[in-house]
Formats: sequence, structure tokens, C-alpha cells
Amino acid sequence: MRYSTKTQLLSGSAIVAAGLLFSAAAMAQNVSVAFSASELGATAYNPVAASTLNTATSLIYDRLVEQDADQSYHPHLATSWEETADGMAWTFSLLEGVTFHDDTPFNAAAVQSWIASYAGTENEYLVEAIGSVDVIDDLTVRFNMDRPEPNLLYNLASAFMGIPSPTAFAELGDNFGVTAAVGTGPYELQSFEIGLETVLVRNEDYIWGSDLSENTGPGHIETFTFREIPDQSTAFLELRTGGIDLLLGVPTDFLQILEAEANIQIIQMPGVGISYMPINVTAPPFDNILVRQATGMAIDQEGIVAAIYNGVGAPAHNFLISSLPEADVDPDLNVTYNPARAGELLDEAGWVMGDDGVRVMGDERLTVSLYTANTTELTRLTQVVQAQLGEIGMEAIITVFDSSTIRDEYRNNAHQLAVRSYDWNNSDILDWFFSGNRLGYPNVSMWEDEEGQRLNDVAMTESSTSAERIANFTAYHEYVLSQHLFVPIYQPTQNIAFNATSISVPDPVRGSRFRGQSFMDIQVVE
Amino acid sequence: MILRYTFQRLLMLIPVSFSISVVIFMIVYLLPGDPIDNLLRVGSSPEDRAELVAQYGLDRNLVVQYFVWIGNMFQGEFGQAIVLRRPVADLVAQNLPYSLTLGGLAFLFSSTVGMTLGTISAIVRHPVLDRFMRGFILLGSTVPGFWLALLLILFFSVNLGWFPVSGAGGWKSLVLPVLTIGFGGVALVARVTRVALLDAQREDFVTLLHAKGLSSRTILFRHLMPHALLPVVTILALRIGWILGGAVTVEFVFGRPGLGSLLIRALGQRDYPVVQACLLMLALAVMLGTLIGDVAQASMDPRIRERKA
Repeated sequence: MRYSTKTQLLSGSAIVAAGLLFSAAAMAQNVSVAFSASELGATAYNPVAASTLNTATSLIYDRLVEQDADQSYHPHLATSWEETADGMAWTFSLLEGVTFHDDTPFNAAAVQSWIASYAGTENEYLVEAIGSVDVIDDLTVRFNMDRPEPNLLYNLASAFMGIPSPTAFAELGDNFGVTAAVGTGPYELQSFEIGLETVLVRNEDYIWGSDLSENTGPGHIETFTFREIPDQSTAFLELRTGGIDLLLGVPTDFLQILEAEANIQIIQMPGVGISYMPINVTAPPFDNILVRQATGMAIDQEGIVAAIYNGVGAPAHNFLISSLPEADVDPDLNVTYNPARAGELLDEAGWVMGDDGVRVMGDERLTVSLYTANTTELTRLTQVVQAQLGEIGMEAIITVFDSSTIRDEYRNNAHQLAVRSYDWNNSDILDWFFSGNRLGYPNVSMWEDEEGQRLNDVAMTESSTSAERIANFTAYHEYVLSQHLFVPIYQPTQNIAFNATSISVPDPVRGSRFRGQSFMDIQVVE
Repeated sequence: MILRYTFQRLLMLIPVSFSISVVIFMIVYLLPGDPIDNLLRVGSSPEDRAELVAQYGLDRNLVVQYFVWIGNMFQGEFGQAIVLRRPVADLVAQNLPYSLTLGGLAFLFSSTVGMTLGTISAIVRHPVLDRFMRGFILLGSTVPGFWLALLLILFFSVNLGWFPVSGAGGWKSLVLPVLTIGFGGVALVARVTRVALLDAQREDFVTLLHAKGLSSRTILFRHLMPHALLPVVTILALRIGWILGGAVTVEFVFGRPGLGSLLIRALGQRDYPVVQACLLMLALAVMLGTLIGDVAQASMDPRIRERKA
């Protein structure tokens, strides 16, 4: 009996020990992630000052609020908030017991100094409506607004509004985010080799995850290694061979091949941007609105989605992603394929069809320049656009530039047409690309218009409520569309692929992008 | 004699280095684009721009800028990267070991394998082997690096699972990049070795050596090889410059860091100090390679050092 008991005890202990070891092995596992092509090249993990951030940033820093896929806002480091009726003050209650990775406390004073740190940075626009921040008590702050800002919660949920440790931020200066990055997030920065990889290690003290994650405690995974793999084909092969577990931003071309792989699962999320063709309204023949309108009607968005993207994603008929309410414009203003009408408009503008299929006006041929940046997906799209413009008698000459040179070309007003894309899920993108204050770049259309600027200013600064903001931006959007400043082409999906034999990924994905909240629920598959 | 020759060659490098440094300094100003544009906030005023330009010393006379730059270079002070926001020396130090390892191994691989194959094909006169070698040399000289890299990944990493697809961790991650870069070099070195040996075999002194009754092996290793090595050394010396910067495509496909990748990234962002430092390193490598080649040739062939000394 004694022997038996001892054996049972030993067996039991062995099982418990094995279980613990097993569990420890699972907990100790590293998960490798490859950034999407659009995330490559981040030079610092500094949400306050950086112009480019990647997904790892959302694991180092928490935000006051989080945005879900349905555009609703959820508490995170702010447990609740209240806006005054006139929109001139916002009061936020902060979560208690939160500490930064350097063990300094997160409190109202930290929020106050954090907001102040945006002054003079690239990202200052995010807080420019905030006049001052009052510390009411240790866990309550009040934002006194210079003007109502219905977009404040959106801004606060942005990756650029992750909250850094004020102590580390002050001590490190320009090196903050380069040599060290200190936030309150579920993972701490262990190493950052620019252009190569970032290693994050679990914050064992973390117990303040938002309700967008099932797991609000420390992350399941001990370390995440984020790799920068510049060649998309290589990244795809790494996933196939188990070199990485998770690939963010799978190119649409690879989806069919990946779907055939038994161990690979794909998550598709609604896109947060569009591909489009801006038209330089100051460059003849596009100074004639009829030519611009005809150009828009030459592009077969549905055909492009089917031919280039295998039906994945959606055609774009105006400038905003379709999940935004401001995208719901007067249907007559949407840009749609109509080559016959395009031909009539060009005839009306004086461009008649020549013998060789290129339109002419007198001795002048309808030959235009078509610029694009040197990424494979945009280059292919540009070639199809070139062919479709050719169908209406417009000869487009493609020139491919690197990203720095093409901006110079825009600034020098040397362009006519260009194929570009953007990622932004807010209607204020209209201000970014069409404000007369940013001619050349990012206002590639070179559009300067009194009424347009008035509508822009109203939408950006004179909206008191969310409903008012939607109405104002819709009006501005409709006016922009009526001027034929660009041709919308394609709304891609966000594609994420993972190795289902090594990790499990939350389904459905919460949030508008696959970032921190989803990583919290990633688990190792045993 | 060889020391005097080496000293003369070193002296000649001074004007060459000066000319190269001027070209490197000026070339970045001829590029379209501006690093300040990458730093400026959109919608910034001309005053903001002027402030940044002054901060990085770009408002000074070009001649002054050049002498400040070259003076700093002599002291090993590469400056601060404008866009990457780190000391340039740190960026170079981070990437240089990867380039040296990859380039050095590829150089070693292409030299040894190339010379061995070239020698075999020159001494073993078999039509099948000859055709194989000609085909191999043609393939090696023409196959694009990125295509070969993908082919090797598909075969060795995806199908066989022997090596990682990409990355820079451990010796295994070096095998496929070394094979990719080395393949072209192997073909080139093999071709030059083969032609040089075949030419040497037709020299009168070889007939004399045979007549004296020396064995073929002795003739090959003691008399033919030193004679045939001269052009091979020239080719190898020129490839030393490649060690640092010749692997850009391969670094891209295999997701490896390196000086070539750093240069491309810095060029894309018009990060002048980084571009200048990288170009200077590459130019130095080429000059060093040429110097080593010249000295090696001179030490092997007295006619060269006597003619040039």
C-alpha cells in the first residue's frame, strides 16, 4: 500500500511535472511574424514623432481607447470618457494600477506630458484641437478643446497615439524608439535591428488588456520575432516551409496558392484603403474637366478586380473605403466605367480619334505621362490602366520611379497621371490629398479651389458632432468627385495568413486592423 | 623591389582616392530628391525647411561641405543618418560583418571551385566533359542571380527542407546565398583558368619541358599553373570589390542585411551621409582589390614589377 501510494504519488508528480514542463514549453515558444510590404522600413518605435510605424508598435504601447471593426470605440487605458454638450471638453477616467515597462506609473500626469510632446512633430495634427490638458486627480484628465473635435476618439485609437513612458521619453530624446521603446503594452522591446528584425518579449505584469482581446492578462506567447522580408515571394515561401508562423499582408496574387496548402489558413479583413489614379488638373489636357471626366470613365474597375486580383477585394468608385459613411455619396457622382460616354466627352473637348487609334487635336496627339512607384502590384495595375486608357484613344507612357523621386516629380508639377494607393480608414484623408495647402505632395492633383477649401475647412474644423462631421465630409467628398480630380480603382482586402499547425489565431479578428489585440489571443498549437 | 613597387602603387592611390571622394560627394547632389523633404512635415513653411537645412549643414558652400565631410571621414566620423536617425558608423558597423561574411565566403567558393573546374577542363581532354564545362560556364555567366536564388530556395528549402528560406541566423542561412553569388564567379574563374591553361600549354617552353622528360603533373603544377594564374589573379582581384557591394539582389531575395541593402535603402530615402559612407566603403574595397591584384601579379611576374617600377 505504501509502495502503491508512493508510486501513485511519484506518477502523479511526474504527470504534474510533465504537465508543467509541457505548459512551460508551450509558453516559452517564440512566434515568428513577417511584416507586410507596406510596413517595411520603420526607423523608430516612437508613436509621437514617427511617420511610419509597424504592427509591433501596437504591442509595445497601449492607447486610451480602441476601435473595433464596426467603428465602435472601446475603453482601454481610459475606462470611460465624457464629452461636454458643446464639445469643448472631454474628461477621461484612467485605469488604475497600470505601469510602464520602466516601472513608472501611468497616470493623469503621464497623459498630460504625452499630449504636450506632440508639439512640433509630424503627428501634431492628431491633437491640434486640444488646447490644454488638466490633471483633475491622479486618474482623471480633462482635455480642454480649442474647437469641438468629433474625430478625437478616432485619433486616440490610432497607432500614432500609443502612450510612451514620460520618463524614458524625456531621458532618451531623439533616441527614444531607437535604442529603447517604453510603453505599457503587453510586450517589451528586447531588440530592434533596423531593416532586419524586432524581438518583443512578454510583459509578465500585464493585466490590463482591452475587451477586444479574450486574454486580458499576459500574452500567451513569450516572444514575438517580427522580421522584415523585403521580397514578398520569399516571405510567402517562409510561411510555407514553417520559417515564419504568421504573414501580415499577403499579396492577392499568392492567395490561391496559399489556399491550396493544408497547413495554411487565411484571414481576410475589410481593406482600409484604395488604389487610385490622381489627375494633375494644372497639366494640359487635364486642365479641361471634360478630359478628366472621360479619363475616369475609361477605367473598368470591375474588370480590374477580376483580371488582376482574381475577384478578391472590391472595385472603388469614389475616394473613401466603402465602410465609411462618407463614402455613401450621390450615386451619379460615383466614377464608373463608360467608354462610349468617355469617347463622346473627348470628342466634345476637341480630341478626335486618329487613324492609329490615338486621338488628336490638330497636330497634337493625346499622349500623356503615367507615373507609378516601383512596387510590383502597382506596376501591374498601371499597365492595365495604360491599356484601358488606350481604348478611348489616350496614349499613356508609363514611367516607374522610386518613392523619393516620384515625390520630387509631384512637387515639381512634372506629372499628369499617376497610379497610387493609400491606407487610411477615416474621411479626413480627403483633407490630406485635396487641401490646397499641400499642393504637389500629397495633393498630387494640384487642385486649388476656393469652394473646395471652404468645404474642407468646414469638415475639418467646424463640425461639432459626429453626425455633423459625416454630413460635412460627405458634402466635401461629393464636391471633390464633381471636379474629376482622380479615378478610383480598387479596394483591396487585408490578407493575413498563418501556419495552423503551429499557432491558432482569434477568429473573428477584432479591431479594424490585425494588431495588438489579436496578438494577445494567439496561442501555440501543441 | 616588390616593396618599392607596392609603395609606388600606394602613392598612386592618393590621387585616385581624392578623385573618388569628390565624385562620391558630388554624385548624391546630382540625384533627384532631397533628404530634407523626407524629414519635413507636409505643409511646412520655407522657414522650417531652412532651419532643417542649416541643422544638417546643407546650407554651406559645397566646397566647405566637402572638406568638412572628408575631414570627418579621416577621423572615422561618418556623421548622423538624416532619415534613419542613427550614427552612420553604427549602421555601417551593423551591416558590414554580414557583407564581409557573405562576400568573403562567396569569393572563397568561386575561387577554389572555379580554379579547380577550370584546371580539370583544361587538362582532361574529353569531348563530353568539354561540352559540359562550356555549358556550365555559359549558364553561370548568364543566369540572373535573383532567378537562381529562387530556384535554389525552391529546391533546397521548400522541397528538401535543408536550409532556411531567408534570414541571417547561423551558418545554414549562408549556404544558399553563397551558392547564388558564387555560381557566377565559379563560371567566370573556371573560364579564365581554362583559357589561360590552354594558352600556356601551347607555349614553346612546355614542349621543351616535355622533351626534358618532366612528368605532366610537374609541368602542370610547377610551370603551367604559375604562368596561367596571372589572368586569374586579375579577375579575382577585381571581384574583391564585389565582396562588399555585389550582393544587393541576393540580400533582397534572402532577406539578409548588408552594405548593399543599406545603400539601396539609403538611396531610396536620399539619406546622403549613409549613401556617401556606403559608396566610400565600396570604392575602398575596389581600390584595395586592385592594389592586391597588382602586387600579387608583380610578385608572381618579375616582368611586371621591372616594367612598372
